[in-house]
Amino acid sequence: MNYQDLATRLTQLSDRLSKHSEKIEGDAVARAAAKLLAQLNSFEEHLDSFLASRKSGELMLETFLRSPAAKKHLSVEILKKGLREILGKRLKSEDLSAAKKEFVELVHAKEKAAQAAKFLKETFAAAAHVEPGGKDKASLQKEFARLGTLADDEYLNEIGERTFGELRRLAAASGIKFTDKTTKERLAVLVRRYSRRAAVNIATAA
Amino acid sequence: MSSKVLAFINFKGGVGKTASVVNIGATLAKLHGKKVLIVDLDPQANSSLWLMRPDRWREHVAKGRKSTYQIFDDALQGKGKFSFDESVVQGVVTWTGFVDLPKLHLLPSAVELLRIEDKIHELRAPGIYQILESALAPHFKQYDYVLLDCPPNLYSTTKNAVFSADSCVVPYVPDYLSLSGFQVLAEHIGEFRERFGSHLPSRRKPHIGALIVSHYRQTGNVFRLAINELELSMANLQARGAIPENTILLEPYIRHCVRVAESTSEHLPVILYAPGSIGAQDYCDLTQRFLDHFDNKK
Repeated sequence: MNYQDLATRLTQLSDRLSKHSEKIEGDAVARAAAKLLAQLNSFEEHLDSFLASRKSGELMLETFLRSPAAKKHLSVEILKKGLREILGKRLKSEDLSAAKKEFVELVHAKEKAAQAAKFLKETFAAAAHVEPGGKDKASLQKEFARLGTLADDEYLNEIGERTFGELRRLAAASGIKFTDKTTKERLAVLVRRYSRRAAVNIATAA
Repeated sequence: MSSKVLAFINFKGGVGKTASVVNIGATLAKLHGKKVLIVDLDPQANSSLWLMRPDRWREHVAKGRKSTYQIFDDALQGKGKFSFDESVVQGVVTWTGFVDLPKLHLLPSAVELLRIEDKIHELRAPGIYQILESALAPHFKQYDYVLLDCPPNLYSTTKNAVFSADSCVVPYVPDYLSLSGFQVLAEHIGEFRERFGSHLPSRRKPHIGALIVSHYRQTGNVFRLAINELELSMANLQARGAIPENTILLEPYIRHCVRVAESTSEHLPVILYAPGSIGAQDYCDLTQRFLDHFDNKK
């Protein structure tokens, strides 16, 4: 059921009740009416609260604070920065859940929920941004694929002329995992193996 | 309202087409206030069954009437039974019985679509790839985003989606089989563009706008190397003009997450079912990048 269906149902009920109101009598229907009234009061409270929070921006703030992005990116530092920007105030709490509570209370008190929601939206958007590898990465990847096309002796000659740092940059840009303990010789073997694979796979794919 | 129509295609199955459509659509509606229409074009009805309980879906699409099947059947029979307003499902029904995500709409699919492919070909009429666009384009403008969930093939229904779309999005699993398939797909779309592009305004010439990586695991070298090969292949295709220069590989990659799989059984997008899961977090960040890419695109 959607809320429009509920509204239609309530309108129909209201019309029937209005039409027959002077004829209705007895305990059973009165008890049911009392229950319905209690439920209606509770529903009206929830609805009023929802509509008010939607208007003030509180709903959006709550949505962002509970969003998957908050779970991944939200920190005390972000909340401190937000409060400074929105209210010019300092957040005292150092624990994330206490900081969230303090943040929400302070922005609500100053009716700045909409600004706070906007701040979080922009902050999460910035956090989701991934810097592209750029031309450096692209040229290293291209070089990696070219190395894969070389014959064994040509490859050894080329690798021999490179520094360990250059080889590490080439491997890192091409998805090869290595540690501080990986030697130049071992890295050269890995680059050889995977660059040949890439050259073959891309050539056959193309 | 200026809508963006995006076809999620890959003729390889199990690459995350439906998961991408459902979860990006839900995140656009929930966190970005966008009005979104998901059009299910797959006879398996996976996005329909992800967002609707099976009993409600069966009742809704009985005999294919209120589904995308009716659009194609109307074209074949020369009838006009399809009603967009009656067919579209607004929001997602949660286990309370009430609707959530009111800005997310779904035009469901029906299994009857299975029977339609051969018949569309038999038509041999000009305009067989414009059936979907003719029926839905007038309704697209009430949405910010229209996401077309295509079947895992490149037959007539998918071509209808490509013809209707501003851009194609290719969900991708990082392995060699996907890499070879992507190359074929890019060339196929290129051929389609050559054949039919003259009927369309330049911004809508069929092309691949973005790739999305699913089922990613951060173990060892395996997936990083496969993605490196994909990036190299994309650079090759861009250099040859087979895909546009601004086609991007959207990040973050969607990590394998059991909660996403589980959310299909709950008939809810992961952002509603398990908002704290890594799946929800990844789709949340990916949707932001998706918006950055497609909202700024002319």
